[in-house]
Amino acid sequence: MSPRLKRTGFITIFLLPTFIFFCLFTLYPIVKGIQISFFDWSGRTKEMDFIGIQNFLDLFSDPIIWTAIKNDYFLVVGKVLGIMLLATIFAVSVTRLKVVGRNIFRVIFFIPNVISVVVIGVLFRFVYNPNLGFINSFLSLFTENPVQISWLGSENLAMWSLLWPSIWAGIGFYMILLIAAILSIPTELYEAADLDGATQSQQFWSLTLPLIWEQMKVSILHIVMTTLNGSFIIVWIMTEGGPDNSTQVMGSYLYQMGFRQYHMGYAAAIGVLILVLSLITTMALQKLLSKNTTELA
Amino acid sequence: MVLNKQHPIARILTYLILIIWTVAVVYPLVWTLLGALKNNQQFMLDKPWALPDFPLLWSNFSYVWTKYGFGGFFTNSIIVTAGSIFVSLFLSATSSYILARFTFKVGKALYSLYLSAMMIPMILGLIPLFFLLNDLGLINNLFGLIIVYSASSLPFGIFVLVSFFKMLPRELEEAAYIDGAGYSRTFFSVMLPLAKSGLISVAIMNGLTIWNEYIMGTVFTNKPDLYTLPVGMAVMQTEMQYRTEWGPLFAGLFLSIVPVLILYIIFQKQIAEGVTAGAVK
Repeated sequence: MSPRLKRTGFITIFLLPTFIFFCLFTLYPIVKGIQISFFDWSGRTKEMDFIGIQNFLDLFSDPIIWTAIKNDYFLVVGKVLGIMLLATIFAVSVTRLKVVGRNIFRVIFFIPNVISVVVIGVLFRFVYNPNLGFINSFLSLFTENPVQISWLGSENLAMWSLLWPSIWAGIGFYMILLIAAILSIPTELYEAADLDGATQSQQFWSLTLPLIWEQMKVSILHIVMTTLNGSFIIVWIMTEGGPDNSTQVMGSYLYQMGFRQYHMGYAAAIGVLILVLSLITTMALQKLLSKNTTELA
Repeated sequence: MVLNKQHPIARILTYLILIIWTVAVVYPLVWTLLGALKNNQQFMLDKPWALPDFPLLWSNFSYVWTKYGFGGFFTNSIIVTAGSIFVSLFLSATSSYILARFTFKVGKALYSLYLSAMMIPMILGLIPLFFLLNDLGLINNLFGLIIVYSASSLPFGIFVLVSFFKMLPRELEEAAYIDGAGYSRTFFSVMLPLAKSGLISVAIMNGLTIWNEYIMGTVFTNKPDLYTLPVGMAVMQTEMQYRTEWGPLFAGLFLSIVPVLILYIIFQKQIAEGVTAGAVK
């Protein structure tokens, strides 16, 4: 065998199984999912009725999907603000400031990231439970009458109650990313700043923050993407989209439509909507954030 | 690292913030353990933060373990996670090596294709995947779960391992060629061992995700003896709330947290490395 043929053969043998596997179990389902969105299909029969863009038209006149979109972006904004603010504070605290036991804090803060979303969801259902949970009991210490807030049962509060465990569960991951970014800043820069008499907060604003901005951008994009694509699990576990669809997000609505009510075509259309919105959002955000960088420089 | 002086008030404030968050993280977990040792009466009458009465109800643990089949959920999760890690590591390592070391047109396109899959919401493919597995007879089958979990782990594995293989020195590889080793021998006996730490990072990160995965698990299995831990936990909570078995439910929660916690403490260094390896773009 010629060396060239040998090389090509080796490349093919090493690439092909992965490629076939990927096509079959990742690519095909996505393409097929887009296709199903143009059909009326219960999933229980073989035949599917082609209805063009009817599912999408129905989607736009469905008030629940609008609530769901609003809730998705509520979580996106809430998580970006909450996580980035706290993760930055924690990352700076355990790297740039004199703190005893900094490694212990680092290890503890990451713990929620290794726990299953299901476990976090069930746990926080109990934390919020009006009678058994500790939130109401704790608040009752400061009032005359026992506090009886239904955290997950009231339409006004439920989304806020879902936001908290989402932030709680996410911080550690982004803190680790920011810590790595801060530790990669050359220490000479800080020494020079010290010599110039810059205070801790001056060093933060004019040294640390600009130099970790790249990593912060990556983190923000990552939060946006994972929230739009995956935050329905905590919603599904904690409220199933209720009360009265008030906490529905796109993913939970898809799950409910597809696997509870057997409107597979409609559910697939929601999936396409999630894909489109997350692509648009990340692209718009990328543009917005890169603009900011040039202004800084 | 040189750290300059800090205002005493700023120092106190820093500690205060860090300690408050420590409590916010640790307390719910401690609360779970306390709840796991209580009976219903204590849940109803005592304050939620009250310590459990003696004798502690350790039987809550054995109750979920045997009566709710928790032991089985554990076994299923271990089989599925270990199997998926093995399959996805093999598939992503072989491809990553080629994509990192051999330059050809298709390679670049393939790499972008794999990476772009990380951006796609996997729930979009959930419905077709269900029917595909159904046609293949892999619904209610742990092997079916291994396949879908391996597939979903590929992009991350390829992403990390390609950059890892690129960093490895070329000299050793060339030496192996000169010594007469063929392509695949060079890969298996020289390059793969050198990439060990990258492989471990990928295995841990994907392993964590798979161990905790819920949505595919719940859609692709509906027989209790095939449930993974998160699926079993989700089903259990509904039944146990209905039957007001709070102690056992807390025991189940605690039992699902402990193993990952132990593994996390053992592997925390590699996990932190895995997190950063995956995000440096």
